[in-house]
Amino acid sequence: MESLYLLIPLSLLVVAGLAYFLYWSIQGGQFDDLKGPGESILLDDDAPQRKDPS
Amino acid sequence: MAVAHTIYGEGLESFYQRQLPAGERPEFLSVNDGIPQSLLVYDDPILQTRFIKELSSQESQTVLSLEKIRCAACVWLCDHHLKRVKGILDVQINYVTLKAIITFDPQKILLSQILYEVQRIGYLAWPYEPSDLAIRSKVERRKLLFRLGVALLGMMQVMMYAWPIYTNSDDLTPENNLLLNWTSWLLTVPVVFYSAAPIFSGAWSSVRSFYRTRSLGMDVPIALALGLAFVVGTINLLIGDGPSYFDSITMFVAFTLGARYIELIARQDAQSGSEALAKQLPASCERFIDYPRSNAVERVPVVRCITGDVLRIAPGEIIPADGVLMSSCTSVSEALLTGESRPVHKKTADLLYAGTHNIQNSIAIRVTAIGQTTRLAGIAILLDRALQAKPPMLGLAEIWSSRFVVLLILAAFMSSAVWLILDSSRAWPVLLGVLVASCPCALSLAIPTAMAAAQGTLTQLGLFVIHGRALEGLSKADTLVMDKTGTLTVGEPCLQTIVTLRSGYSENEVLQIAAGMGEGQNHPFSLAIKQVIKERNLAEKIFKKVSENHLGRGLSNESYRLGNANWVGVEDLDHSENRQRSYIYLADEHGPIAELSFLDTPREGVDYLLEYAKNAGMSVFLLSGDTADTVKAWAQYHGIDRYQGGASPEDKFKFIKQLQEHGSTVCALGDGINDAPFLAKANVSIAMGSGAPLAAAGADAVLMSPNLLVLVQAFKLSKRTQRIIRQNLIWAFIYNITVIPVAIMAWINPWIAGIGMALSSLIVTLNAWRLRKV
Repeated sequence: MESLYLLIPLSLLVVAGLAYFLYWSIQGGQFDDLKGPGESILLDDDAPQRKDPS
Repeated sequence: MAVAHTIYGEGLESFYQRQLPAGERPEFLSVNDGIPQSLLVYDDPILQTRFIKELSSQESQTVLSLEKIRCAACVWLCDHHLKRVKGILDVQINYVTLKAIITFDPQKILLSQILYEVQRIGYLAWPYEPSDLAIRSKVERRKLLFRLGVALLGMMQVMMYAWPIYTNSDDLTPENNLLLNWTSWLLTVPVVFYSAAPIFSGAWSSVRSFYRTRSLGMDVPIALALGLAFVVGTINLLIGDGPSYFDSITMFVAFTLGARYIELIARQDAQSGSEALAKQLPASCERFIDYPRSNAVERVPVVRCITGDVLRIAPGEIIPADGVLMSSCTSVSEALLTGESRPVHKKTADLLYAGTHNIQNSIAIRVTAIGQTTRLAGIAILLDRALQAKPPMLGLAEIWSSRFVVLLILAAFMSSAVWLILDSSRAWPVLLGVLVASCPCALSLAIPTAMAAAQGTLTQLGLFVIHGRALEGLSKADTLVMDKTGTLTVGEPCLQTIVTLRSGYSENEVLQIAAGMGEGQNHPFSLAIKQVIKERNLAEKIFKKVSENHLGRGLSNESYRLGNANWVGVEDLDHSENRQRSYIYLADEHGPIAELSFLDTPREGVDYLLEYAKNAGMSVFLLSGDTADTVKAWAQYHGIDRYQGGASPEDKFKFIKQLQEHGSTVCALGDGINDAPFLAKANVSIAMGSGAPLAAAGADAVLMSPNLLVLVQAFKLSKRTQRIIRQNLIWAFIYNITVIPVAIMAWINPWIAGIGMALSSLIVTLNAWRLRKV
């Protein structure tokens, strides 16, 4: 059971890391639009390049 | 055509494969060759500073609010079209809020050009100035999400540490136990002090205002239970005896915040709808260059106007500044300011207020007060009213649950005191259990979550709800009263025939007179005549004064009268062959000069709406100011049995009053310009948004979509909303009734109570969440 003394502090570090990561992604606006990025990957730019209007 | 040309020219034709089937397609604007005057005003330096952020000398950024976007393909088209425009460096479109962040080179392209490029592919865009409200709600959402995230992380970890204590407590040494407990405490601290902070501050402000309001908010018992549990848990940990409650605390906070987050999203969705509506207030206005000597006007941004300027305001437009009426009389709706949508009559020298809207005549006003403040005040009032207007039912539930809270706290302490005498070991869990389990959170969430979710959905469909009572009204309406022009029909009639009734007048002369009279009028017929004038390259006759508008009957100017047969004083000709057309007459003091006929096209989705009304047992009436014959023909065409033509606004008002006296609940549909009193009288009123922007301030809801099918969905949704509200109330009531005795009898311990309370709120919220799907 001595391993607990190492593992529990480690788990705290992981939680702190996760919390920071969550904070970073929320402030970066990643949760503001949950629909768009999923759609935009399907609508990628595979159209032909600009031609002169005929 | 112009739109298709642009799309094809840029190799974007795959748009047609991606977009939705016809009917869902955006209504393409007819776009001229040049940039319209109304967009050029945005290049004004003062407006630029408001809308454009300079990043460097070659890079500027602006945020545009996009309109008429229906599907992902529309976003794709906007995105790709704009990226190909010279001078635009980057485009980022948010799919949810429909805001485009555009980075561009100000030396190569102007703001007006960017707006014009969006219009060229059939959408609308205008510079977006984020309101305080929008910024606040974004911050609020992000903060709550992070609080929820912290609580969830804390909950997961604390559960993990609690697991060995519950299951293998025999294997654990006292040191291990201590380690696990203290780590749990460490993780509970941020959950209590950070995540649950809004609960504590809410409870505190509710307690402080108790003296005034005599009621306590939902936060009070929750905060009380949380605080007590945490303090007692910490004490137990220090003395090394008794339960620590940390797992219950974190779980309780996480569940409660989860329910709140869902409610917040639903509420903010509804908010963004009313904000979009407010954005339709004018940024530009028409200023007379040399009043009163000439009628020439220039279009300028409102911020450029100063006190003393004379502005022209067409019927249906919002008055952009406070001012004194210079021209003859008009009616304005002051619904935005007073909530009374009955038009107020204004004479020369009367005061007009910014944010009210001009209904009747084209008028001139001398500005007495102007500034961003007046316009923003208008927006704020509208928004506030939209958000504050609570349906009567909602108010009742809130009063009930807040009284309930006081009783609940008393009950918790009393039962705990009784247990202290009977069995002191149980007193403590009972106090926590009763406080937590029987909190009427579900009861207080039952209605607002459902309303917010339904309003959000309606906004997405294209129906903006302005008054909270609209949803309740829609579900109860048993009579549908429709206007014809602009409601049953698109409201864009085309001039069909011109019959001159007097020799000496040519078709073109008739058109010139009619167009001159219609100058400054927004009536569909005036616009149709203007269209023809433009096509034939004619100049309209210049009148000295602006025509007087005889609401719903016609126009008069000098000796000319233009309007329906009755009012002009002409025998109606025989129209047995073309009954669906509308006829108006031009006459002077010597008698009739010409007859003009117009034909309108029916609105999309009319048949669906009528079919739905029939199946739902609603009676449908067609009421119109148009001639009886025309109305009859339209009614028969659509299979409406009951109709009345030649109805003046007063007739319509009386008609609805009569229906209501017979016990009907009336839902009125109108285009909002001539129908203000009629819309105000109905139990629930829906204005057609395409008629006049914001003309509908007095209506309960505004239909922004051109398709009436949306109304069918709205009717169904409103019925479902009422059903879900009823389910929620019943469920919350049953939960509270059953759980209080159980908790008082000490049959549940605090952590089960926590789950029960959070789950009951979550069930109510998720049940309401179902309304977000049509």
